Amino acid sequence: MKTAKSLLSNTLALGMAAFLFPYGAQAVSDDAQKYHRLYEENCASCHGSDHGGFLAPALNNETLKGRSPTALRTIVMTGSFDTLMPPFYGRLSDDDIRGLVKHLQSTPKLDNPAWTIDDMKASLKVYISDESKLPEKPAYAIDDMDDIIGVAARGKYGRGEGSKAVFINSKTHQKVGEIPTNAAAHIIDYNPANPRWAYVKNDTAEIFKVDLYSMQVVRSIKTGFNGPGLGVSRDGKYLMAGSYVPHNAVILNADTLEPLKTFELEGVDPDGNLVSSDSGMVIGTPYADVLVVALENAGQVWVVDLKDDFPVTKIENVGRHLHDAFLTHNGTKLMVASYDDSIVTAIDLKERKIIKKLDAGCVPHVGGGAAVQVDGRTLGFGTNFGDCSKTVVSVWDLDKMEVVKQVPVAGGTESPAAHQNAPYVAVDIISKDRRARTVQLIDKKSLEVVKTLDVGGHAYFPEYSADGKYLYVSAGYNGDEVAVFDSTSLEKVAAVPMESPAGIFSHGRVKYITRGLSPEESKGAHQ
Amino acid sequence: MKVLFISGALMAGILAATSADAASIYAGQTQAAQVCSHCHGVRTPSADAPFPPLAGRDVEYLQKALKEYRDKTRKSDIMNAIAGSLSDDDIADVAAYYAQQAINP
Repeated sequence: MKTAKSLLSNTLALGMAAFLFPYGAQAVSDDAQKYHRLYEENCASCHGSDHGGFLAPALNNETLKGRSPTALRTIVMTGSFDTLMPPFYGRLSDDDIRGLVKHLQSTPKLDNPAWTIDDMKASLKVYISDESKLPEKPAYAIDDMDDIIGVAARGKYGRGEGSKAVFINSKTHQKVGEIPTNAAAHIIDYNPANPRWAYVKNDTAEIFKVDLYSMQVVRSIKTGFNGPGLGVSRDGKYLMAGSYVPHNAVILNADTLEPLKTFELEGVDPDGNLVSSDSGMVIGTPYADVLVVALENAGQVWVVDLKDDFPVTKIENVGRHLHDAFLTHNGTKLMVASYDDSIVTAIDLKERKIIKKLDAGCVPHVGGGAAVQVDGRTLGFGTNFGDCSKTVVSVWDLDKMEVVKQVPVAGGTESPAAHQNAPYVAVDIISKDRRARTVQLIDKKSLEVVKTLDVGGHAYFPEYSADGKYLYVSAGYNGDEVAVFDSTSLEKVAAVPMESPAGIFSHGRVKYITRGLSPEESKGAHQ
Repeated sequence: MKVLFISGALMAGILAATSADAASIYAGQTQAAQVCSHCHGVRTPSADAPFPPLAGRDVEYLQKALKEYRDKTRKSDIMNAIAGSLSDDDIADVAAYYAQQAINP
C-alpha cells in the first residue's frame, strides 16, 4: 500500500518536474532528486543520509567503484542473507532499483546535512499536553516497574508498521504495550527518578518520551539524522543525544524534550589531526550530575556538567575509533571501547583522566557491558565485534584494572548480559554463519564457556529480567521473535513475536549501574 | 541442542532411507532459516512485506508451489531463481518445516 503510494507520488513529482523543466540537463538533476528521495525513504536510516554508512555499509561512488550493477541490483532485490538488509523485490519497481544502483554508484559521500537547535525545536511534537491527566499507576497488572523489558523492534524494512518499541512483563512474558516508532527503534532508556518515563530513540534520531503507565508517546523530537547515542542524567532531568549525522550532540530537558544546548563534535584525534566526529555512546552516571559522550573519530571523551551553561571537560587520547562503554565503582569509572586499538580504556570520572588502557581482544564492542562480583573480585566482561583468528571475551579485574582472562568463544560477539542472581554471563555470537543463531554462556566462576544455546534466528542482545530468573534473547534478522529462557536450566519458556527484534533493555538497569552488579553497587554513589 | 540436531538429522537420514516421503524438518529448518525466512519470515508475518507467510500452510501446497517455481511453470523472477536449484528432497524438507510452524497472530 505504502509502496504504491510512494511510487505514485514519485511518478507525479517526476511528471510535474518534467513539465516545469523541459530541458535535458534539468531532467538529470530531477532524476537525481527522485533517487535521492528513494534513498532517503528506503536506505538512509541504515546506510546514512550522507551515504557514509551507519549500521550498514557506506554506499557511494568510492565504496561501490567497480562493483557489478547486476550484482548490486540482486542484493537490493533479494536482500542479503544473514544481515538486516531486507528484500526490496515487490516494494521498489525494477526500474527504480536499477536507477537507484546507478545513482549510488555515481553519488559521492555527501557533506553532513545541517540540523541545528532551531531545526530540533521545530521538530518537537506534543501529543499529550496535560500530563497531570495521565493515570497514576500502570494500566496493566505488574508487580514492579523494574519487571518491564523493552525491546527495540526494527521492523523488517527498518521502518514502517513493524518498527516499534515493545514492552513486556518479564514475569509473565506477556506484551503489555507497544509504541510505534516510524523507523527502527534502537535504544530504550529509562528515567532513574520516575519509573513511568521511558525514552526511545529510533534510527532516524527521533526521540520519543513514553509514558509506560498508559503506554503512549507523550512527546517526540528529532535530534539529527541518525546515531544511537542517548543517555539520561541521574536525577532524570536531562537527556543527551548524540548523532552520526550531523556530528553533534544535544542536551535536552528530559521533561519537555526541549533542546537546551548543542555541541559540535570535533577535536584532535590520537594521531594529532583535527577531525569532525560521530557521537559514540552517551551515558549518565549515579555518582554525579554529569552526562558523558564519546567522540568516535576524535578519540575523546567529554564530560558535561549539568549546570550553568553546561561546561565540558575534554579527555583526549582515549583511543582510535571509540564506540560504547560501561560504568563501574559506583559510577566513578568508565570503561570505553576503542575499535581500532582493540583496547578498553578505563577513565576516572572524578579526576577526569585516563587510568589505564587494557587489552580487549579484536575490535571491542562492549554493548552495555557486564560486571559481576565473584570471590571478592569485581570482574568486567567485554565482547568483541571482530572475527579475528582468535575470538575471545575479555575479563578484567576492575579493582586492579588488569586482564584476568581472555575466554575463547565461538565467534565475534556483540553484547554481554549478566545478573547477580544468574549463574552465567551470556554472549551473543555474531559471526555470519550458523553460529549467529547461538548464544554462549560463560560460567561466572570457572570463566569457561559451559553451554551453547541455539536460539533459532540470528541471536543477539541477551538481557536478564530484573529478578535474574529469565534470559531474554532477540532471535532477529530471520527469526522473528524474542526467545525467553530460564536462566539456570536454560529451557526455553516463552516466545514473544515481533519483526526483527534487536536491543533488549530491562527497566532494572536503572537500579544497577552495569548489568550483573548488585543494586548496592550504585548506592553510596549519590553522596 | 546440538546433540538433538545431530540425532535428529541422523534419524531423518534413516527414515529417508526407508521411506521416500519422510522429510527432515531439521534440514528444512536450516534452509528456511538461511533463505526462505529472509522474505517470508518464520512465524511472524511482516506488516510491511509483500511476501506471503508460509508458516502453517498445507504441506502439499507448499511442495507443489515450489516445484512449479523450480520448473518455471509458475512464473516469478525471484522465485524461479531461488527454487531453481532445489532438489525434491530440499523441497520436501522446507515444506515440512514450514507446514509444522504455528503462525503468530
